[in-house]
Amino acid sequence: MRFSVRWFVVIASLALVATSCTGDEEGNGGTTSPGASPEPVTITVVDYYGEATPISEEVIAAFEGEYPWITVKYEAGDWDSMREKFTVRVTSGDSPDVATMDMTWIPTFASEAIFADLSELSGGELNGAPITDEYSEGAVEAMTFDDHYVTMMFDFDAYALYYRADQFEDKGIDVPTNWDELSAAAEQLAEDTNGDGKNDKYMFEVYGNDCFHWCQFLFQAGGSILNEEHTAAAFDSEAGLTALEYHKSFLDNGSGVYWGDAEGEPIRGIKDERIGMFLDGPYYMGLLKDGAPDQSGMWKVAPAPYSVEPGSYLGGTGLSIPVNAPNPEEAWLFVQYMLRLEQQIGVYTLAGAAPATEAALGSPELTQEEEYFGGQAPFPIFADTMAIATHFPYVEQWDPIDTIIGTMVESVMLGESAPQEALTDAAAKVNEELAG
Amino acid sequence: MRASAIPTKTVRRRPLKGRWRRYVAGYVLIAPALLAAGLFLFVPIVLSGYWSLTEYSGLGEPEWVGLTNYIELFGNDLFLKALLNTFLFVLIGMGIGPVLGFLSALLLNSTVRFRGFFRAAYFVPVMTSLVVVATIWKILLQQQGVINQALSFFGLPGHAWLSDPSTALPAVVATSIWQGFGFETVVFLAALQGIPRELYDAARVDGASYWQQVRHITLPAMRPTIMFVYIIGIIGSFQVYDQVFVMTEGGPINSTRTLVFDLVDRFQQLELGEASAVAYVLLAILAFLSYVQIFVFERERG
Amino acid sequence: MTATGGRRVRRTLLYAALIGTSLLMIGPFYWALSTSFKPSADIFASPPKWIPDPWTLENYRDVFTLLPFPRYFLNSVIVTSAIVGLNIVFDTAAAYAFAKLRFPGRDVLFFLLLITLMVPFQVNLIPLYRIMVRLHDISPLLGVGTYSAMIMPSMIQVFGIFLMRQFMRSIPDEILESARVDGASEFKILWKVVIPLAAPGIATLAIFTFLGAWNDFLWPLLVTNSDETRTLPVGLALLARRNTVNWGQTMAGTTFLAGPMILMFLILQRRFIEGLTAGSLKG
Repeated sequence: MRFSVRWFVVIASLALVATSCTGDEEGNGGTTSPGASPEPVTITVVDYYGEATPISEEVIAAFEGEYPWITVKYEAGDWDSMREKFTVRVTSGDSPDVATMDMTWIPTFASEAIFADLSELSGGELNGAPITDEYSEGAVEAMTFDDHYVTMMFDFDAYALYYRADQFEDKGIDVPTNWDELSAAAEQLAEDTNGDGKNDKYMFEVYGNDCFHWCQFLFQAGGSILNEEHTAAAFDSEAGLTALEYHKSFLDNGSGVYWGDAEGEPIRGIKDERIGMFLDGPYYMGLLKDGAPDQSGMWKVAPAPYSVEPGSYLGGTGLSIPVNAPNPEEAWLFVQYMLRLEQQIGVYTLAGAAPATEAALGSPELTQEEEYFGGQAPFPIFADTMAIATHFPYVEQWDPIDTIIGTMVESVMLGESAPQEALTDAAAKVNEELAG
Repeated sequence: MRASAIPTKTVRRRPLKGRWRRYVAGYVLIAPALLAAGLFLFVPIVLSGYWSLTEYSGLGEPEWVGLTNYIELFGNDLFLKALLNTFLFVLIGMGIGPVLGFLSALLLNSTVRFRGFFRAAYFVPVMTSLVVVATIWKILLQQQGVINQALSFFGLPGHAWLSDPSTALPAVVATSIWQGFGFETVVFLAALQGIPRELYDAARVDGASYWQQVRHITLPAMRPTIMFVYIIGIIGSFQVYDQVFVMTEGGPINSTRTLVFDLVDRFQQLELGEASAVAYVLLAILAFLSYVQIFVFERERG
Repeated sequence: MTATGGRRVRRTLLYAALIGTSLLMIGPFYWALSTSFKPSADIFASPPKWIPDPWTLENYRDVFTLLPFPRYFLNSVIVTSAIVGLNIVFDTAAAYAFAKLRFPGRDVLFFLLLITLMVPFQVNLIPLYRIMVRLHDISPLLGVGTYSAMIMPSMIQVFGIFLMRQFMRSIPDEILESARVDGASEFKILWKVVIPLAAPGIATLAIFTFLGAWNDFLWPLLVTNSDETRTLPVGLALLARRNTVNWGQTMAGTTFLAGPMILMFLILQRRFIEGLTAGSLKG
């Protein structure tokens, strides 16, 4: 064994010297025109749902049954390491054919032209119908970068208000529809059960350190993160100040509980009833059912209250095809397959996430009344939210900007800096990023 | 070459042949290691050095930019913060860790029962991957976690250790020390066992106290070991990543952002040139520090 | 040592310190172990339940049913054993050369190797991955998606060479010289004289190498794409779901990951530490 390894190393190093640094992959392009019996092709599909994936064995088998010349090599991944692994693979000429992308990764990858042009591949159609018919306007926009599609939304994430309906009833609180009402509701809802002068139950969750939870307030106050040309920060406006102060107000008046990394997952706070109201996405429906089954029937969902206009961030998962994928045409066939109604419903039933296509969102399976939500049908509320949700700006520097904003929110929530100065500082940093 | 009692005729032939044989043996013995290192370490490192002078996203071709990456790094807030945090981490960690290791080794070297059990106990954290250790401590340090509960048992206030910018870095350092000083303990213990008993006996006869013995016999005898521990320890500490990734992701407010974390972050953003530049800055720092350490140790020995 | 009374006090303090720190060392692991036997409702109970009550095997059952666990374990064993084996051979050989033989360029080469320790491995990932991709093109037995991809980059560890070199340096030159005078070749000297003397060092090397290889996560993650080659740490990561973590399962997985290591150490530690005690360092 010693010798063979040595020889391989020698050969390998010679080969490496001869061929290094080019980074290009010559995969088998393997496309054929329909009609003649196509050559067998294997496509590699990678996702990050872990073991609870909608790309199940049955789905794959059914797909291969319908397209007998295509074999699917499915590789499971997990969300945490997916990004790094994907980056390494794609930049090393070892691209998968289909990969799930978190929508917040799109700006960075798309601006480096990592994705295949789906407008071209699809001819504007998905499973025979125009793409613009299959998705909401917001989704269509979120899938577009530089005037072409870079991804097809697979599941979506937008925030709505989860609240303890049983407590609302007991305390005679009306479902809030605007910021003032939300503040009032939070104050009425929170309780001090151990008599130490501070509320400790049914508080409003103030998630403190990211743009997902704070930017919605910015949008709801009529503000935006960047200006239209994406050349400068725009969140240090009146709207931004209002939004920051509003977010903090819950902590100041004791009706809110700060939630950061040290507190662990919010589901724990929900379970022990420290949290009675929170803003989050559709996947929390599944989390509630799994993590707090004893609270069945007590929770309901409502559209997020707003100040100037309804707003939320729009995120989720998209299916993308890397630009150097070996078999883009077959990959596109697979993407379309996963966007059919049946598979989209699987996104909810298998992965507990919300499917992104209009057809799925309107389907009877998802618009049912649910016992956990006291007889309410929660999905339609999220579906409506998708219509008013905005995706993060698609600029190359989104990741550092995201970090700057998250840090800014965190420092204000922790009381380390005053809202106005935090905003000004952060805006200056963002402008620097955009300029550089 | 030692002077030998062998007659002149043989001396003339032997040294040449012997030396030549030793050269060949030397090269043959290091060949596999060098080949492997060459392919799997040097090639990537040199390539990264090249990339650090370019702007490169990983796709397409690298674009030569000279020293721009380096210059920009030193004007970049995040990088500077990472530099500061890493220095703090190393200072605290290498200040405390080896000292604890040394003290524990002294403890374990004395005649106590159940030595095997204690040794194993110290070493168990070292046996475990950093990711596992960090995961466990992350839960323990949570607001409602075991640490705070233990503190309240003693009447002390709990704290949001990982959420507070002023305590997050110390918390991560503490976790690292906890995990790592067992290694130093074992290495020091092995070295301690090698110090001849006679030296201590003689000192005791002369009336030296325990700590005097430590100062004048133990420490000097362990100099090479101490140097080894510090060099390896500093090189390792500077590259801290796993704990940060698991426990705090660089936060809160970048208070735990370390150099390697900064590097990986830049990779994720497909800034391979910048990331490679961070790596080379790290290399320069470590090379300098190692040189200084070796210089200091060698000089003191002479 | 002073009067008997002081001695007793000292011994009590000694034991107290040892026991205290041992508890501190083991405590978190015990917590992790007990958590793995708790139903999810109890994991964050307050006050914390030190003894799981009720206790359950569901976490372990989950880990086994959700993942092809035995396969991951086997893969880890194969890869780790290969790495340890190769390292013992090559690191020791190189260390002896660096420690005891003189040849031109020796110190320069050693210094170069040391330099590689100062570069964070994360920066080598992409170039190394590309090498693996090319190797895979050359032969399906090599490169990405095979054991070789995990084994080859780790077949020598500069840290291991450094460690062994330290051990070897303390072997007295006289022994080697007399063997040379007796006409032994360098390789015979290495095999018959040096290795037995360096045995505890080799044991130490084996343990540390095993540690690193067994727990290695990032590189195996990158180069394995299927259950056939996945190692344990990578496989366990698949337990994580987006947005939530099942701590009970995670702790069960962690127990499996750390367990064999700890067990192995407990079994071998007597030999390992006794080997150190045997005084090869006494010189």
